[in-house]
Amino acid sequence: MSKPDGYIEIRFGPRWKYISPARVFIQNFIAIALSDQAKADAIAMATSELLENAVKYGASEDTHCIVQAFPETGVIQASVTNHATEQGAREVQALYNKIMSGDPLEAYIVQMREAATRTDGKSQLGLARIRYETSADVKLDVTPDHKVTITIIVK
Amino acid sequence: MNKLNIEPVHQDKVKIDVVDNAEGLMAKFVGDIDMEDPSIVLDPLFEKIHQGMVAKKIPFVVADFNGLTFLNSSGIKAIAKWIMKLAMLPPDQKYQIRIAHNKAITWQVTSLPTLTFLVPGAVKVE
Repeated sequence: MSKPDGYIEIRFGPRWKYISPARVFIQNFIAIALSDQAKADAIAMATSELLENAVKYGASEDTHCIVQAFPETGVIQASVTNHATEQGAREVQALYNKIMSGDPLEAYIVQMREAATRTDGKSQLGLARIRYETSADVKLDVTPDHKVTITIIVK
Repeated sequence: MNKLNIEPVHQDKVKIDVVDNAEGLMAKFVGDIDMEDPSIVLDPLFEKIHQGMVAKKIPFVVADFNGLTFLNSSGIKAIAKWIMKLAMLPPDQKYQIRIAHNKAITWQVTSLPTLTFLVPGAVKVE
């Protein structure tokens, strides 16, 4: 991928109240970088979902988000990184494998039906929602020390 | 007050009013649903609406999301849970959820139509 024409980097402690201003900031950044409000809305939703997961399930006091804009091609790349527990990292890997297989809409509906019957307080809908609603390429990277990075590339 | 005597909800950044309308009932959502656990607010509200719709045999409820600027996936889970309750009802107790949405809000255009796939015939997006 070519060099981005603009990027933002946000780093914050795992506090729920910071997600909403981060979402608005990302939305405004993309709207200005690409002049595409619909794409800005979609990516702001997607990064918000990733940040929610990072804050909810993070094992450390650090959530890191980078959003890069490539105006020449209209591509946006966003990644969210946090440290998870060993079990958390395993769960996100399993969920990723499940959601990325098959049709995006089918996977989303299956996750919605499962979410409706869950009793553990989790929804596990975010990744399926992102994949279906943004048509993004979604990549997962888990390091041996359980650092989890989810990257979305929206064309 | 509405025919089911459901009180309005105002929590964090969302306000939900339940009002009577010509066809039955309307739940009107305004603001953002982006709290960590929206089920605390939404599950009891949807349960009251569901029980009331069945008890009073009201055929339609409008879920008006026109004024809802953001809904996280935990909020979608709560709505899906409500919709899935309709799958369990016998035919003579069924009602329909009509979703009113705002085409100028991107997430509403992409998220809300997917809810129609959960229980065939239970949800209509208008």
